[in-house]
Amino acid sequence: MEKPKILIVDDDPDLRRALKIRLRANHYETVQASDGYSAISVAQKEKPNLIILDLGLPAGDGYVVLERLQDSDTLSSIPVIVLTARDPQSNEQKTLQAGAAAFFQKPADNNELLDVIRATLPKAWPGVTLPS
Amino acid sequence: MKNGHTDVLLIEDNPGDADLVRLRLVESDSGVNISCVDRLADGLASMAKQSPSVVLLDLNLPDSHGADTFRRVLEKAPGVPVVILSGQDDEALAMKALHQGVQDYLVKGDITSGHLERVMRYAIERQALLRTLEMSRHQQLEFKNQFLSHVSHELRTPLTCIHQFVTILLDGLAGEINADQRYHLGTVLNSVHQLRAMIRDLLEATRAESGKIRIEARCITISDLIQQAVSMMAATAKEKQVGLEVGLDSRIPFVYADPDRVLQVLVNLIDNGIKFTPPDGSVLVRACIVEADPSMVYVSVADTGRGIGPEAKALIFERLYQDPNSIDNNRAGLGLGLFIAKELVELHGGKIWVASEVGNGSTFSFTLPLYSLAKLLSPVITYESRLREAVVLVKVELTPLPGVTRSGWKEICEQCLETLRRCVYVDKDLVLPVTGSVGLSETFFVAASTDLERAEIMMKRIREQLEAGAGFKAAGLLKVSATAVALPAAEDGPLEALVQNTADRITEMVMLASDESPIALSANGDESARTK
Repeated sequence: MEKPKILIVDDDPDLRRALKIRLRANHYETVQASDGYSAISVAQKEKPNLIILDLGLPAGDGYVVLERLQDSDTLSSIPVIVLTARDPQSNEQKTLQAGAAAFFQKPADNNELLDVIRATLPKAWPGVTLPS
Repeated sequence: MKNGHTDVLLIEDNPGDADLVRLRLVESDSGVNISCVDRLADGLASMAKQSPSVVLLDLNLPDSHGADTFRRVLEKAPGVPVVILSGQDDEALAMKALHQGVQDYLVKGDITSGHLERVMRYAIERQALLRTLEMSRHQQLEFKNQFLSHVSHELRTPLTCIHQFVTILLDGLAGEINADQRYHLGTVLNSVHQLRAMIRDLLEATRAESGKIRIEARCITISDLIQQAVSMMAATAKEKQVGLEVGLDSRIPFVYADPDRVLQVLVNLIDNGIKFTPPDGSVLVRACIVEADPSMVYVSVADTGRGIGPEAKALIFERLYQDPNSIDNNRAGLGLGLFIAKELVELHGGKIWVASEVGNGSTFSFTLPLYSLAKLLSPVITYESRLREAVVLVKVELTPLPGVTRSGWKEICEQCLETLRRCVYVDKDLVLPVTGSVGLSETFFVAASTDLERAEIMMKRIREQLEAGAGFKAAGLLKVSATAVALPAAEDGPLEALVQNTADRITEMVMLASDESPIALSANGDESARTK
């Protein structure tokens, strides 16, 4: 059975490792990128089912990544969940308008994040078998 | 003077005095442009056209006298230095003017050219200095805000990491843990939550200080909010073995307030109550209407803790205040909670205060305005002391698409309200306050003093404007419909009663419509669609 693949984009390696453990325990496959530039190339290569995206990134911040994803024929349908330390007041609406499916401020509640991942996945990938 | 011309505006009605000042200025031969008017109104008009370098002002003019004269000048041009030309007999008034922003004064008959020139030059320099000071104060505040916002962002990153790995351990994702380990990790997680709350308060207090907190008032049920706050704090109370009780007056009408903000205040007060009450004590949350003040609801949180002394009582709502006697409680927090609570209550037009005696517990109380649709609607349904013929209700429904978070949805609903407000005529139409808290789907109403035909135009505009907003398409489904409420004839009784009556009927319709039952009436111009 194929597991849904999630791309984790964050410049903090410790946080990427933590998310990987959490997501794998919930039966997701994960791939990683540490900056805005590699986020796009990894996405093109790995074709993830969902992207978890930080905003403060080297080599093209989260907004640049969102814009590139939206502009791409092959990547624009991948849902993006923004997970950032930045202030929701000035960023949440902006990221949603830029095409993100959801916004979380760090530190986010694990269960809420997993709920939104579950709710967001099948919209774009109806064929994927979901973990219960 | 140096640096080119000095434009002097002389406001003086006595031709002799005016000539004397002019003479002294010419004597000093210092590149002065002088224009002279003899009425305050002309002076103000001249300042509006072009700002002078300095104003020389006589206080007793044909169209203004005494303190009023300089107040009006300072109000009109706060950045222009003003020097008063005072008579011997009103020097006291001139002194008073100095305290209110006038730069200097000269006593008429005692003016030499060197003196006059020096006074003007210093007045201009001092005014420039003041401006620089004001700017640097503003910059400092801005810097502080940016600094705190940056710090809280940077603190969140390591905090997130701690949170992630503690929960990984607690959830057994890195192997089984024993009971002791679980207990210790639970303590770490609690501290993470405290730290997160402090970072949030830090930002919130900064926002309150710089006036950046927004209040989205709606029509809410205060008892629901109290129950919600109490159930949020129930676990904390139980853990500390403090009783948590609620006493509600069942006749409380709707309150006009921002539910999230009121919840924040309630949780803060209840949390404090529990924190400062010993085990086996209790915290009681009450809401009631006070006859002496019928337009407000009174909410109080009373504890059986050790109480607050008079010195502390005076300071307790101040920023960063911490009770020095609470050192035994080493988790007192930042001392921002009550400051934020006070700011939030005052933004709603309410008051907050504390009654307490040492040894006898404390009661924190606050007020919030009650909701009165009749008052809000009055300008819409009346015109020149008569009822209008009809009021149209436009109904706008928004339903979120899956995956939209609660805060994202809230933002979208706020944006929708803002758009609706742009679509209506001020004082003629009204976007009705929303009922309840932000839910799964959201219904907004616009009451318009118009007929069905005009309502169709308005609906079209609302639909276009909402669909143009980029956030809506991605985030919500949109439906717009309208209905007309026929109003009773103007002769039927006293106007106030008619307004109240109409408001009641509209409230009823809004309640019905919010209750999922679709409005059967549409804005297609169909006569049968009107409610008789």
